Amino acid sequence: MSINQLIFRSLRKNLKNYYLYVFALIFAVALYFSFVTLQYDPALNEMKGTVKGAAAIRAASVLLIAIVGVFLFYANAIFIKRRSKEIGLFQLIGMTKGKIFRMLTAENFILYYSSLIIGIFIGFAGSKLLLMILFKVTNIEAIATLSFSEKALVQTLVVFSVIYLFIMLMNRWFIQKQTILSLFRVTSTTEVKKVSVLEMLIGIFGLVLILTGYYVSSKLFDGDFATINELFLAMAFILGSVIIGTYFFFKGTVSFLFYLLRKRKGGYLNIGEVLSLSSLMFRMKSNALLLTIITTVSALAIGLLSLSYISYYSAGQTARNTVAADFSFMNQEDAKRFTEALKEKGIPYKEKVIDVIQVKADLTSILENVDSSILNVDLAAMPVPVIRDSDVETIDLPPDQTLFTGYQDYLAQFMPFKKSGQIQLKGKHEGIKLRYLGLEKTYYISYRFTYGFPTVIVDETIFERLKKDIDPKIQKESTVYIGIHISDEEKVEKADDMFQTMNFHAPADSRLAIISNQKYQFGLIMFIVAFLGLTFLITSGCILYFKQMDEGQDEQPNYTILRKLGFTQGDLLSGIQGKQLFNFGIPLILGLSHSYFAVRSGWFFFGTELWMPMLTVMLVYTALYSIFGILSVLYYKKMIKEAL
Amino acid sequence: MIILEASNIYKSYGNKFNKQEVLKGLDIRVEKGEFLSIMGPSGSGKTTLLNVLSSIDRVSQGMIKIEGKDIVGMKEKQLAEFRKNHLGFIFQEYNLLDTLTVKENVLLPLSITKTPKKEAEQKFAELATELGIYEIKDKYPNEISGGQKQRTSAARAFIHEPSIIFADEPTGALDSKSASDLLNKLQHLNRKRKATIVMVTHDPVAASFSSRVIFIKDGQVYTQLNKGNETRQAFFHDIMKTQGVLGGVQHEH
Ligand SMILES: Nc1ncnc2c1ncn2[C@@H]1O[C@H](COP(=O)(O)OP(=O)(O)OP(=O)(O)O)[C@@H](O)[C@H]1O
Ligand SMILES: [Mg+2]
Repeated sequence: MSINQLIFRSLRKNLKNYYLYVFALIFAVALYFSFVTLQYDPALNEMKGTVKGAAAIRAASVLLIAIVGVFLFYANAIFIKRRSKEIGLFQLIGMTKGKIFRMLTAENFILYYSSLIIGIFIGFAGSKLLLMILFKVTNIEAIATLSFSEKALVQTLVVFSVIYLFIMLMNRWFIQKQTILSLFRVTSTTEVKKVSVLEMLIGIFGLVLILTGYYVSSKLFDGDFATINELFLAMAFILGSVIIGTYFFFKGTVSFLFYLLRKRKGGYLNIGEVLSLSSLMFRMKSNALLLTIITTVSALAIGLLSLSYISYYSAGQTARNTVAADFSFMNQEDAKRFTEALKEKGIPYKEKVIDVIQVKADLTSILENVDSSILNVDLAAMPVPVIRDSDVETIDLPPDQTLFTGYQDYLAQFMPFKKSGQIQLKGKHEGIKLRYLGLEKTYYISYRFTYGFPTVIVDETIFERLKKDIDPKIQKESTVYIGIHISDEEKVEKADDMFQTMNFHAPADSRLAIISNQKYQFGLIMFIVAFLGLTFLITSGCILYFKQMDEGQDEQPNYTILRKLGFTQGDLLSGIQGKQLFNFGIPLILGLSHSYFAVRSGWFFFGTELWMPMLTVMLVYTALYSIFGILSVLYYKKMIKEAL
Repeated sequence: MIILEASNIYKSYGNKFNKQEVLKGLDIRVEKGEFLSIMGPSGSGKTTLLNVLSSIDRVSQGMIKIEGKDIVGMKEKQLAEFRKNHLGFIFQEYNLLDTLTVKENVLLPLSITKTPKKEAEQKFAELATELGIYEIKDKYPNEISGGQKQRTSAARAFIHEPSIIFADEPTGALDSKSASDLLNKLQHLNRKRKATIVMVTHDPVAASFSSRVIFIKDGQVYTQLNKGNETRQAFFHDIMKTQGVLGGVQHEH
């Protein structure tokens, strides 16, 4: 048989093995090509200029190459391992390693480059979709048209050819160390030996590293690290200690716990433990690295997605907090002109007029340990906006009490309030002591009055007393806030168009205008980050899934034995579910925890809201990630079913 | 009492166009408490027969009854339940789980019957010592020899004291000393606990430990020998003779 015939024979026979590899390849190419096409699209030029996006995009494409590279290497590693027997057999019949390598290379070449072409086509179609999404998030009204970019094509070809070379090198190395003996050996050798004290110490050390990383991250922006250099060092330290800690955790702690658990059983394992515990332990050494990678990548993805969603989410929230209505005015006349225009167009609205005065307040007794030097204010006499309770429908206060409202998570980071206490409002002459009841989230007046500080609500009688005793020096341009709510949600846009064409005497704001401005500013970065985050999610999910397919095939003989012994498919499946809960669950939980601390340390640079967007991202991520877990269980189910 | 009865069973492999008939209308009956050997040339269908008798594989046609129950019509789940509780296996390939230690492999069938741990421990110690695998109890299958694997596999078949033990060449990888140890163990189980044993073997010495030998050829029972009151030695010579008549490896058709 000539070598060409051999190549085609094995190509045909291996199609089942290849399909996974081909899928991985097409997916990676499509992802990369669509991103690069976008990068070279003229429609993006404008945006790149505005937000230093060029650098962001370039950084992102480098990261993309890294993750795509890792992904392909991994797929290839599984794939070549599947064929190690075949390679041994070729050697046995007297083929030289060089010849085998040439055969594999030729075979691979055909597949690699045909997948590359398919991937490029899919990627091109995908890039149009991406552009449409990008326009949507940045609030740009344009039709997504894309031209096929030669530059993108060349770049993709070059990048993937380089990856191809590396993969070939890897194969070369693999074949080199492959002996005929491996043909006869059981696929994998045992990885569990006696767990030593050293291993236990490593596990504990890992936990300590992770916790240290968390601790430093919580101190990151507390002012302990003053210079940029120190900050970078601290970040590098956190990253390093958490990642290494995770690795040690898997390698030491998990192995150790498993070992103890198994030892306690004294050799008496039930079917669930056979399929989960012992199978996991059997591969713990090689899995520790993989699980660490998955955990890190998940943490990165969740962190990035959270941050970008925080900024996107905050855009709407910030706008709402800034305006406290759909439109806000500081001048009765401006408001009147606008409402008349609304009436003319037949747009229904509600008007809310609130008197706002600025009063100095002594907040020292309700603030938690604050270093006022950062904020540059005198906490004993800080000007705050005050409104009367009768202007707020839902609130009625007795004269000796006060409620604060409208406070951003972000300010709370620097200036946390206590649950209750005493404050003093200082007019020009008299001071009024009030019992502080707490802090609410709602915003009643616009940013032009609050500057991000909470609004103080007091009883009507107190308000009148303060108003008489007002200090004119600290008042804003106006002491009246007029908020316009458009009753019909769909007409807000129309009203905004009108708002844009009018000129006003005093500052006036439109919620929609603020949102689109925010989105325009942060949209591109957000988009890139989200794209990377999703890529991370899909690649890490795929890698884990591939790994599980690999394990499933390795373990199929075990399922055969167990079924021969009389265990039902259901028995086996429940054991597998336990194992998958670990394989997918532990990296997810650790990843969530890592990302929580990462986001926690610096989210306030990205937006004003932490919990809602972060929890949303975490939930969605968990759901998407679980899909891969479920897929893998289904795959095992198939393996078990076919085992007998 | 007849514990296992198979009549007119057919088994073929492959599809419509490329069919290979392995069992062609074979009949077999096993009495309770009997020690039966099955012999025949390589490729004659011994493993196949054992598989269908033990419900691991399904026949193409025919009837198989174990303790009066027809197992051909049984659901997959019922069959599994049946195997778990009443059957023990020693397979031709050792069939040990490579993720479990020797001890864990052996104790596997007990975890189903919910035997108390202490009792399980005691049973294991006893059995493992007898079969000479106690010292290697914490090793993994890829760290032990072929013969040790076979003995481990035997221990797993005995530990839950099943009513029928199916053994496919249990002595194939053993030296004559450990082979006769294992066979003695089988004989002991057979005599003392009245365990029914169906064993496939190529080795006339092994076969001479049993009370009856069936010879298979061309997918059917060729002949059979009863030990009766003969000595093992005499029985052994009978077996040798019959085997000589039967000939060696069967040719493919
Ligand atoms: N799963 C299978 N698919 C197709 N053919 C099979 C299968 N298993 C066995 N055969 C065929 O059935 C015939 C009998 O096989 P079997 O394994 O029962 O032989 P045996 O008597 O146990 O031989 P040996 O003594 O060598 O173990 C052989 O010709 C074999 O090729
Ligand atoms: Mg056989």
